[in-house]
Amino acid sequence: MTIATHLDPKYISRGELALSGLKDLAPSLSFATFLTEDGFSVVSIAGAALDSNRFASMASSTQALADAVARELKLGDNEFVIVAAEQGHVVQVRVEGHPLILAALFTDKETIGKSLAAARRTARRLNVFLSAYTGPIDLPE
Amino acid sequence: MSEHVILFVGPMGAGKTTAIRALSEIEVVSTEAANSDRDASDKPTTTVALDYGEINVNAAEKVRLYGVPGQKRFDFMWSILAERAEGALLLVNADAENPVETAIEYVKEFYALYERGGIVIGLTRADLVPESLIEEYANALADEMPDVLIPVFTADARSNADMTVLLMTLVANVELKQAVMASRALSSGRAR
Repeated sequence: MTIATHLDPKYISRGELALSGLKDLAPSLSFATFLTEDGFSVVSIAGAALDSNRFASMASSTQALADAVARELKLGDNEFVIVAAEQGHVVQVRVEGHPLILAALFTDKETIGKSLAAARRTARRLNVFLSAYTGPIDLPE
Repeated sequence: MSEHVILFVGPMGAGKTTAIRALSEIEVVSTEAANSDRDASDKPTTTVALDYGEINVNAAEKVRLYGVPGQKRFDFMWSILAERAEGALLLVNADAENPVETAIEYVKEFYALYERGGIVIGLTRADLVPESLIEEYANALADEMPDVLIPVFTADARSNADMTVLLMTLVANVELKQAVMASRALSSGRAR
């Protein structure tokens, strides 16, 4: 029996580790989650008031629509998605080589460029952590 | 050119994406993602935003086909896509667990579309269940919603012919309802 991606301890533990550095990179971070392509939240940080499952479902739909637009217009692979609103923005980046997407919500106190750089770096960090994964470890408290 | 907007609704694995692909005259726009929850449905991919296809009924009439994600956690897409729709084609996998109850739940969920234009139910994989199930649908719907009239068909979602019958039944329903409403509006205008 295969374990669902969002319940896989490998993705959960490495995801937590990768997300733990995101707030330092972009202090205006309100909420972030690694989600599966089909919209299951794997691991989240900050923003307890936010429904992480709904956020993950919406991020999955948004990502799929953006991918479809890139595909229809023959633009090649979609690299990232940005939803910029008056009081904040959402940045979404795929984790290369894994069926995961990072979706992060920032307030308007961060520039979109800085948020995007922080999100991309965090997605890359997860990729590195997963490549180095050899089994369960005790995470620092 | 007049056009109709039809929504394909129903649970995951009922055949919504397949049906739109069987009907559409353009290449279908799909938003499928790898299905990571194989316990819920044992299929490799699942729709996470929408499917979109089109049919030209004749030179002056186009039908736009939108498929919604089957999973409840994407219900925000249901409301977005239902806003413009005139009717719903509800596909239910007949050999799934509690298919009759599932159909009733979806009729209730999309009842606004029934009122606006109509709902038609298509039972997919019906060859795997007893024929009496179709009568069971009609009876259960009549018991639950006595004033509601919804045609129930068996259909193969892969078959253009089967799906065309369902779709054209729904489009005829929508046009009839729109004609009745226009006529009522005209009558009430004259009465004033």
